Amino acid sequence: MQKKPLSILLGVAVALMPVLASAAVGLPESVEVDKGEVETICGSNEPEWREAQTIEGVKIQESLRCMPDNPAQIAAEVKGTNNISMETLMNTYYAADAIIKKNDMDGDGDPDLIIIKLEVAELNGHSPDFDGLVPTFDMAPGIQPGMWVFAPKSRGMATNSFVGTDANPLLRAPSPPIRVEQGDVVWLQLENSHYFPHTIHLHGVDHPWIDSSGEGNDGVPQTSDKFVLPGQSKTYEIRPRQPGTFVYHCHVQTHVHLAMGLVGMLIVEENRPNNWVQTFNVGAGQVRHPSKAVLEEYDSEYDLHYHAMDKELHGIIQKYNDPRLIARKMNREYDMTDSTEDYHTLNGRSFPYTLKESIIVAEPDQNIKLRMFNSSGEMLAVHTHGHKATITHYDGVEHNPNAQIMRDIYDIAPAQRNDLKISTKDDGLHSYGEGVWIFHDHREKGITTNGMNPGGNVSALVYKKYLNEVGLPKTIGESIVPLFTKKFHDRKYPVWQNIDAWNSLGEIDGKDYKAPPAAAPAPVEEGPKGIAFYDDVPEDNSISNFVWGLILGIIFYALFLKREMIMAMIASARGDK
Amino acid sequence: MSKLLITALLVLTSSVVQAEKEFLDHTNLMNHGDGHLMDMDGGMVMGQNTDVLPGGCDKIAATEEITVHAGHKYSENFPGTMYAFDKQEYQFEPCTKLTVNFINDDNIRHQWMMHGLPKYMYPKGMFHLEVTGPGKISGTLIFPPNDKTYLVHCDISQHMEKGMKAQLKIGKGSGDLPSIPGVSAYVIQDDYSDSIPEPAVKKPLTAAEKKAAKVATAAANESAVSGILIIGLAAGLILAPLLSSRFKGMAVGEVLNTVFELIAQGIGIVIKLIVWIISLVSSKKSIELSDK
Repeated sequence: MQKKPLSILLGVAVALMPVLASAAVGLPESVEVDKGEVETICGSNEPEWREAQTIEGVKIQESLRCMPDNPAQIAAEVKGTNNISMETLMNTYYAADAIIKKNDMDGDGDPDLIIIKLEVAELNGHSPDFDGLVPTFDMAPGIQPGMWVFAPKSRGMATNSFVGTDANPLLRAPSPPIRVEQGDVVWLQLENSHYFPHTIHLHGVDHPWIDSSGEGNDGVPQTSDKFVLPGQSKTYEIRPRQPGTFVYHCHVQTHVHLAMGLVGMLIVEENRPNNWVQTFNVGAGQVRHPSKAVLEEYDSEYDLHYHAMDKELHGIIQKYNDPRLIARKMNREYDMTDSTEDYHTLNGRSFPYTLKESIIVAEPDQNIKLRMFNSSGEMLAVHTHGHKATITHYDGVEHNPNAQIMRDIYDIAPAQRNDLKISTKDDGLHSYGEGVWIFHDHREKGITTNGMNPGGNVSALVYKKYLNEVGLPKTIGESIVPLFTKKFHDRKYPVWQNIDAWNSLGEIDGKDYKAPPAAAPAPVEEGPKGIAFYDDVPEDNSISNFVWGLILGIIFYALFLKREMIMAMIASARGDK
Repeated sequence: MSKLLITALLVLTSSVVQAEKEFLDHTNLMNHGDGHLMDMDGGMVMGQNTDVLPGGCDKIAATEEITVHAGHKYSENFPGTMYAFDKQEYQFEPCTKLTVNFINDDNIRHQWMMHGLPKYMYPKGMFHLEVTGPGKISGTLIFPPNDKTYLVHCDISQHMEKGMKAQLKIGKGSGDLPSIPGVSAYVIQDDYSDSIPEPAVKKPLTAAEKKAAKVATAAANESAVSGILIIGLAAGLILAPLLSSRFKGMAVGEVLNTVFELIAQGIGIVIKLIVWIISLVSSKKSIELSDK
């Protein structure tokens, strides 16, 4: 009788359950997720930087994108830091000895001895002093993979200002495209300011295997070069006889050092009289002072450097400070054969930041030269919307003009370069007319950032009439505002939020949701029987059954033997109650 | 002709490349005003102040001069770093006029950068020496009167993080800064828990060491042998009389038979023991139950 109240209660609860549940048979509500802080899409706009202008006698093309290159910087890159006024130099971050140009040896009006200094900079690295990264370079909103780059020699601080941690404009991905003239004597001086050994290998560039002093000049530590140790410098000597789009990269632990970002384009421009070439194109993209030879055939020129990163690799330098730990994790524990590429960048950044820096600006009936370079670990398949380009050069070598082909997919092997000619002639073949035409890797992971779309190496070829006053494309699609939030890249923001009035593909609010008991399935007519041979092979349980039987038998036998004792126990238990 | 030109160029190349590695004393600086001096070889001084007294200083209390070295080689004393200054701590009286001779022993850029000075007289509150080594650059500043610890570091990416960091105390200072090599710990520390290495590389032994090692090994072997020997000896002494009485006058087959019997008896004893233990446990339980 004591247990009765409880059983009555339980019985009532069970009886009421269907009634209670019927109050909530609906599914959880949609809820709108706050975007959080939205970045100013085109913030640090320098309107006067965008105009065509002449500084220090250097003609600088118009650059209508949101973030144009600093014209003073371009003047320094074209004339050399030794041939410009102190005022111009002070408007850049260049060291006074970053680019030295002198000795017009052939008397054709341009310098023929070019001394280029490169440092090695770490971006988004670790600090033992606070829980953050230094100096920071954003690949996309809130995305800061640790990277290494060759950087032009700069002066002063690594950061842009005293208050923030953002890197100064010379310290950025990708390693800058370098331009020299065919026949120039080039001393490429690597000042290894990093904490690991590095070298420079001049991939595809005409260079002697040993330099004038008998030292290695090919940058391969196993065969032709010593490490350039931290704090040391080394000068590579070249006098390239052949023009073309080539590469320079570190050849120490190449599999990881190249992936970390120590790789850039090296372009040898054809020899012309009075041909001052733009030694660096920091951040790649538009070349605002194209060479004489390029201008003979083209209206504008763009460097497009594609790269990809495995976030595990790029996180190592953010987790540890001790260089020995980093070396062990990177050289011995990280296994590249198990890696996956998570970040896909064009000129160091991913969509939507590519819209600020790496758009191609076109007008009808123009010829545009694109130099495409793939430094990722996999084949690229770049696709241009609205245009079919002609591939004029592979790996810096001109393709037979009669055999050149037009495509809308350009497959570029790792380390390969394709020079493309885009004609904006509106004939339905070269161009389908004016617009905002995106171009992107057509391996679908290439258009993601850490597997999430939109992102990756997407950018756009934008006709001038579709550019707004700050240099962003006048898009007519869905709003790109949510893409400029950290929330989106942190996977917190539903890609299709508010696509209609009641947010039918929004975030689910499952917080206080309790599912009702499942309804009984409606009776279903029995379908035709499956083939028994496949469906109903009975499991063979004989061994386990035998074992269980054996165990039970032993237990029963034991109980039988002790039956008197057990009976007595039961009796005594009863008696006590 | 062109070959001759190339040869000439290459000779020129090597001579200049060599020249670049020579020590450069950056004394010929252009003054850009506001304490900013610079030359075309990458030498730079910012925040130079040789004569303006900071507020609160009646006079220059002391005139001091230090020579600071920077380079990879100074990180030798601090495992887990890559760059360092030759000294990590400085201390001066308030209102000291200090001249710093900054010598860079590497072949790259280094800086001796100090933050937190009064902004009204030091642009951005900073005193900064920068030079590409090997080379030397000098600058002068006058400190304010208050006790304070100033951060001194190289701001090139990862140089401070990897050891090139020091502190300069005026008066008593205002405490220690974190992660000064040899002085203070990191705020955020590395995890070394999985850093148990393979045996370290041994140095080749000298003849004397080899001899000593040989003697030591021999001694160790001797002691090990004698220990086991004693146990064996004891066992033999105890068992021998038993065995001898048991197997006296038996054939080989009989001996074997007896051994098997012994083993069987042993197993029987063990089983009995186990059964006894089980019954002990189960009977205890039944007693407890009946107590209820």
